[in-house]
Amino acid sequence: MTNAAVHEYWQQALAELARCPACPEIESLALRSTAFATLYGVRLSSLGPYRLFGYLSIPKGTGPFPAIYYAPKYQSVLEIIPQGTANVQRSRYVTFSLAGRGQRNADSPYAAMFPGLLTDGIDNAASYPFRGIVADSIRGLEFLLTRREVDAARVVVAGNDMALLTAALASGATRVVTAPALFYRTAELAPKTQGYPLEELNDYLRLHPARADAVRRTLASFDLVSLAPRVSAATLVMAGAPGSLLDAAALRPMTTALKGPVTVYESQQSLYKDGLYSERWMAEQCGIADVQSILPEHWRD
Amino acid sequence: MPRALPADYRSKVEKPADFDAFWGDALRQASSIPLEPEVVPDPLRTSGDIETFQVFYTSIDHVRIAAWYCRPTRRAGRAPAIMLLPGYQMDPPIPKEWARKGYAALSVAPRGKLRSNRQFNPGYPNLLTHNIVDRHTYAYRGFYVDTWRGIDFLLSRPEVDPARLGVVGSSQGGGLTITTAAMRPEVRAASAGAPYLCGFVDAIALTHTYPYEEINDYLRLYPERRADVEETLAYFDGISFADRIACPIIVNVGLQDNVCPPETGYALFDRIGAADKRLYPYAGHGHDAGRVRHTAVVDAFFARHLQDAR
Repeated sequence: MTNAAVHEYWQQALAELARCPACPEIESLALRSTAFATLYGVRLSSLGPYRLFGYLSIPKGTGPFPAIYYAPKYQSVLEIIPQGTANVQRSRYVTFSLAGRGQRNADSPYAAMFPGLLTDGIDNAASYPFRGIVADSIRGLEFLLTRREVDAARVVVAGNDMALLTAALASGATRVVTAPALFYRTAELAPKTQGYPLEELNDYLRLHPARADAVRRTLASFDLVSLAPRVSAATLVMAGAPGSLLDAAALRPMTTALKGPVTVYESQQSLYKDGLYSERWMAEQCGIADVQSILPEHWRD
Repeated sequence: MPRALPADYRSKVEKPADFDAFWGDALRQASSIPLEPEVVPDPLRTSGDIETFQVFYTSIDHVRIAAWYCRPTRRAGRAPAIMLLPGYQMDPPIPKEWARKGYAALSVAPRGKLRSNRQFNPGYPNLLTHNIVDRHTYAYRGFYVDTWRGIDFLLSRPEVDPARLGVVGSSQGGGLTITTAAMRPEVRAASAGAPYLCGFVDAIALTHTYPYEEINDYLRLYPERRADVEETLAYFDGISFADRIACPIIVNVGLQDNVCPPETGYALFDRIGAADKRLYPYAGHGHDAGRVRHTAVVDAFFARHLQDAR
């Protein structure tokens, strides 16, 4: 597929999204609100139209605040903030996490399976669920940027491939933290692993070998290498450990194609070390000097 | 002030006097319900070396439970079996890796998880505090029994050697490994990583991260219910189950675990009744609890107890 065809694919999706009003409904959630932050449940519409759900946390006090947008993950559960993140992070950042279509709280009418979502309808690019999920993620960022509490100069989009795709296709992300897992040279890398989620593709093509060309055509529209040049935000790429399928060397064609400043971090196979690096990077980028105060207790010096 | 050594921590958990009666009653209720296992071949997830099935069985309250079941295509006689238990918010994985190591492998989705949520679905966050003031209806009562019924499923399989059953999991899967090893004497070896559901009341003071933070959220809104909450949790705490464990067991913890405080892992290990037990603490690791390095330890442990033990 040519770059022009990829461009056309996303232009159409974005045009459809633009015609679909967000119609947000925002409801305060007392159970998850604290002395330092108020939590809201947010419903809004995306391409389809399809009704989504997200958790918006606003710090108490005078803003505007830096914001972290947690783009839809590849799991059924929607978290308020990622598991293991200090809840007090919500005192310093506006946070917004979104369930893309198929995830819990956004699973009607479409309930995605995990594993399963990656290859559901993958032989038809026009109706592939991820076309809608990318649009959902963009809609979430658009919503976040409407909030007066958000400092538009300090907006981090964090997640897997979805963070990078969102930053590539929408404006507004000033920083990106991305851990590619699904759409980096997928067709090429999947045969080299037996691990999910890429094993989903191996499963699919074993059962439907005749669909291989159609699958490759769909994946071409999502490939991070071709979309990376559209990203001008400062980006932290969380690569796999050296020698792994998605290590820094493997990701180099993507990281060198990014247009903004790039930091590549290779996993040390420790959620502590990897998570600490990411938290510090975001804090530094957002001008938060005392990052210690918003780290989990067991990560503090 | 420097943080105290996790090994020196003393848990607040006290096992209720009627703990065994409470769970004995739950087991009796469960055993009166027919398992009604369904084993459905899944051609999409089956390959030349591994057969994969979608499994369904009935648990307490007549809730239908889903699971993934994988077995090596080529087997010489009855195989050892592993039950894999899931993390709090993870979607239960398809356990092909375990089948490739020569085990019949069952990956259970307890009630509320994807594919087991038609009759019970409190959601995430929420599961941890669902009916938390009443031990008889608390979410984890059925959730625990669902995993124990997974052992019944394995015992129903002609290709499984009933004398060689193991249980493994990390995080919530680690906690469920503890409760299963405690309540099902058929389990011959267990490996629990970064165990969650152990030291609830300790953890909510030691850390302020989700999922344990769900309990702090609940108590902030309903402070008057603290005594009821603590009373319920004592029945569900892995530390209360630990003295019943008799099989060989290994436990790994990360000393910088930001989800399940390592203090609770040490407290749990201290209470485990088995004579053959070993703790693996990993410095410089968080909730992964040294998983990459520890995988070889787990593999060798199960090979020794389940594959060499014929």
